[in-house]
Amino acid sequence: MKRLTIGLAAAALAVCGFGAPALADPVTLHFWVAWSPQQADAVGAKKEIAAYEQAHPDVKIDVQNITYDALHDKLLTALAGGDAPDLSWGLPEWLGELSRMGALRDMTEEAKTWPDRSAIYPNVIDALTIDGHLLAMPHYLGIRALLVHEDMLKAAGVASPPKTWDELIADSQAIKQKTGKFGFGIAGTGVRSPQELIMYLAQNGVSLAERQPDGKYRNTWLDDKAKLANATDVFAFYKNLLDKGVINPDGASWGWEEEDTNFGLGQYAMVIDGAWMESRETQNPEAMKDVTISAPPYKEKPATFFEINPFYVYKAGKHPKETWDFVAFMNGKEFQEAVHPNNSPRSDVTTDSKWGRGFTVLAPTGVVFPPVPLGAVTRDMIETLGQTLLKNEEPEAVARWLAASINKDLKQAGELSGN
Amino acid sequence: MKALVDTPVATRLEAAARRDRGARRAALGKAAAVCVAPAAVFLLVLIAYPLSRVFWSAFHYVNLTNPTVSGFARLDNFTTVFEDEHFWPSLWRTCEWTVVSVVGEYALGLASAVALAQPIRARSVFRAIVIIPWVIPIVVAGLNWTWMLTPDYGVLNIWMVKLGLMAKPYYWLGNLNSALLTVSFVNIWRSFPFYTISLLAALLSVPREILESAAMDAAGPIRRFVYITMPELKIVSLTLIFIHVIWTAINFDFIWVMTQGGPYNASETLPIMIYRYAMEDFDVGAASALAMMTMGFMLAVFFIYWYGARSSSRESATW
Repeated sequence: MKRLTIGLAAAALAVCGFGAPALADPVTLHFWVAWSPQQADAVGAKKEIAAYEQAHPDVKIDVQNITYDALHDKLLTALAGGDAPDLSWGLPEWLGELSRMGALRDMTEEAKTWPDRSAIYPNVIDALTIDGHLLAMPHYLGIRALLVHEDMLKAAGVASPPKTWDELIADSQAIKQKTGKFGFGIAGTGVRSPQELIMYLAQNGVSLAERQPDGKYRNTWLDDKAKLANATDVFAFYKNLLDKGVINPDGASWGWEEEDTNFGLGQYAMVIDGAWMESRETQNPEAMKDVTISAPPYKEKPATFFEINPFYVYKAGKHPKETWDFVAFMNGKEFQEAVHPNNSPRSDVTTDSKWGRGFTVLAPTGVVFPPVPLGAVTRDMIETLGQTLLKNEEPEAVARWLAASINKDLKQAGELSGN
Repeated sequence: MKALVDTPVATRLEAAARRDRGARRAALGKAAAVCVAPAAVFLLVLIAYPLSRVFWSAFHYVNLTNPTVSGFARLDNFTTVFEDEHFWPSLWRTCEWTVVSVVGEYALGLASAVALAQPIRARSVFRAIVIIPWVIPIVVAGLNWTWMLTPDYGVLNIWMVKLGLMAKPYYWLGNLNSALLTVSFVNIWRSFPFYTISLLAALLSVPREILESAAMDAAGPIRRFVYITMPELKIVSLTLIFIHVIWTAINFDFIWVMTQGGPYNASETLPIMIYRYAMEDFDVGAASALAMMTMGFMLAVFFIYWYGARSSSRESATW
């Protein structure tokens, strides 16, 4: 009996792991996202992540959903406190500040041997690369286009969507006259408004800050009369939109919610917006059925805001290999086809629908923010719209103020050239 | 008798008793220290340490995204704040927001407390209903009011137009002149029940006999209210006003949820500026300097209240 007991105990110990290699605990990757749980991309992503976990039993993905505004603050404080996740969603505007913090992991080496690298649009990889280091992986493309309620255009006797700023103003006035509705919508405040402003600036040949030979940045409008004049034109354009009844006067205080919701409800005719507006077709099928997509109207040269939405991978993460594998999986064809069929950063994932090719064809004209800390810069950009649309200040004074403010912000961030 | 007391035995007994008392006091002191220790640790870790960090950061260069920025800043962070074109307007708006909110809350709270003190039917039901705004979380209240006030599809605008109060919808939160007042109104709506319940409790404790005597002496209801009821509410009123001045002046969430300080900074107060320094400019030094200054303003309010209350109690004692 005693022998039997000892034998059973030995067998139990052997089963429990003595004498055999120990089973490793699964690696948990902490992944912060900012999705709307009911939207198609979130539903698709959750399914794909579950499939990934099933295929990789040694990896568990701990997804935490946070709104974009809260995500920014939570990330910064978590990074400063040394408690960052392994990877997260984020806005492209955060690349400069996260890079400056030294928080991002350099994925240049992994990407070199990644077989799918050639499938990613080259300018997407370029935009996520700072000083030769790939500091983020693409997530989706938020290219902006002109969305038009075609029925309103027809009612106003306008044959095709406007191609220039002047046409936009003229067509909008015709729409207002014939339908009583405003022709165009803008975001006067919030995260969307600097994205629209940078596009208009690019359409008139000016950028917020240019990289200088010392590797730092500077706004040069005050050093170059032509650039100042071009920047002034942009604020004059905004002023015209208001003064000539092109936009709803309330638009000066609209954020993206008001802009998207009012367009989705058919309250006005045209807007510069992204492919996510497809979801409004489900919510407002009647009002959205006449929407067509075309290139944003411009002044000097065609340009649009090219939002290369990234996945940020953090240096502080404890599992770099597993994190890279997971982020590469999310940039794989299968994941992208399931989650971002219309706005994928992969050139081999696209659809012929208006929400797919209608936007991706505009990629070559895309402009991005310079890779500097942008918190104060984008706030100043929002402020200039307030100065123009709410305080009725002179466009040139506004352009001068923004130029000086951007350089002040760059100086404060330690990014001003020659300083 | 004296000789008996002064014997060596008595001296020894007294010394022993003194030792016992000392030992008891020491034991009591230790027990008290053990009991107080958790609270002291709590205060040190959660209040003293963060406060001292803010104080330290106010005099140093600290940048959230740029680790190379460091060193003793002398008064540079305070200079940054004073030279900021938004500082003085924000300080003024903080005063405006605080005064409008606290006056409105007090007036509405007093009026509703007086109404609910009357012997009306179903009074307890009304008392329960009036407290509802106060139990709604600020974020929920702020978002709901924002939607209700939207010009294009907000129910309040639609009702006001239908009732003929306005010719067309008005963007209450989107206009420079009305944004801060609108947020103040919503803040009043949410906070007045706290005044109501506090003032109601004080109103119900006013002695009936004094009011009845005054009535018999031909004092009318307004006279009784001004000369008898209001003085009885003085301590509760001062306390309510004092704590709400502080709570309102440092309030961040209501304004942030409803306007984020906009449009064009029209509702930006000092707490919003502190947030912007820290989380948009990443200048923790300037944020800490402004936080120190705000704390200074609040301490000044406290001392004014304290001296006021002290001199008022001295006057009462003299009378």
